[in-house]
Amino acid sequence: MTEQKQFEEIVERMVELKDTSELMIDLAYSALMLNSKELAEEVQRLEEYVDELHTRFELLALTSDFKKEEASGFLGLIRIGVATEKIADAAAEMAEVVLRGIEPHPVLKLAIKEAEETVAQACVTSDSILVNKSLKEARVHEETGMWILVIKRGGKPLRPKGDSRIEVGDVLIASGYARGVDALRRLASPEETCTI
Amino acid sequence: MPHFEKIEYKPIPVRELLLEMKNLSELMIDLAYSAALFNDKDLAEDIMELEARVDTLAYLLDMEIMVAARDAKDAEALIRVSIVAAATDKISDAAADIAGIVTHDIGVHPIVSQIFEKVEKHLTKATVKEGSVIAGKQIGKLDFKSRLGVDIIAIRRNKDWIIDPKDSERVFRGDVLITRGAPQGVKDFKELAEASMAKLEGQR
Repeated sequence: MTEQKQFEEIVERMVELKDTSELMIDLAYSALMLNSKELAEEVQRLEEYVDELHTRFELLALTSDFKKEEASGFLGLIRIGVATEKIADAAAEMAEVVLRGIEPHPVLKLAIKEAEETVAQACVTSDSILVNKSLKEARVHEETGMWILVIKRGGKPLRPKGDSRIEVGDVLIASGYARGVDALRRLASPEETCTI
Repeated sequence: MPHFEKIEYKPIPVRELLLEMKNLSELMIDLAYSAALFNDKDLAEDIMELEARVDTLAYLLDMEIMVAARDAKDAEALIRVSIVAAATDKISDAAADIAGIVTHDIGVHPIVSQIFEKVEKHLTKATVKEGSVIAGKQIGKLDFKSRLGVDIIAIRRNKDWIIDPKDSERVFRGDVLITRGAPQGVKDFKELAEASMAKLEGQR
């Protein structure tokens, strides 16, 4: 691998580590809030994925041809990697609570609901402008400040990509500032009501 | 050796303690990445103080839970709260580890800026310039959270950082603001702060 290529790889892996570890926290809180085993299992799967990713990242960083004076900077990168892995671990521990069955004490849901960053779900009705739009076109984050974490379709959780299309009946699970929740629900189900 | 204070039991609702732990731990991650990205030692030191605050909250929360449990059923429901709280503590530890890279002068390789160009949530530093529409305004009134999906997580004024400023806080010319949000949102915000964009256009 050329030096340039190796650097690009390091950047890519680190981006994935950071984004995935943060997604896992949001998903873990969603799992707790909705008492959803499916979401909790998704967090566990991601935890295994992060472990692999982290090893690949460390090997890449250690085998790259850095100069002596770059060693400290590389150590800094490696330590950030360790921190992302620790964050992913913490998310997995939260998700484990859901998988162990017994319904947690209600204060847990209350705290998540009242937090600055909360999680909420909204279902997509036929009169929504989101229908048939790709996630990228839907610009949900720009409009509401909420990030879509998961789309539940036919009861199954899908992890959305930019080109995933939103369909009628989808349940959007999103995280963001509490005041974005109403905006998201207005966008997803403007007139028709739906129960999840 | 850091000084460790004695932590005495205080009757604070578990919900409040957990809420603060959750909010702080998430804020700390973004602050820690910001400290690493902008190589800011003062900010990194403030993160260490927040970490100590989360540790105190963890003690208080566990004591509260012990007092609250009356029987086995209570204990089973409450242990889960304790585990989630411990996880937020671990997240804040991870944030402090990142801040430690800065406080211990290890530094992060310059490719870190490329990394932060590509992640989902962007972090930006912007100085409020003369003539900016946001100068003198209250954060709550500006409402960037819902207009741009952007949150101001810290303000540097004179020599101090104001962490997680309240809605009633005003921003002034010369303030350095750290924001997090979607790439386009933080870009627009920076242009507004630096007065290269006069006002927000095309708002639906």
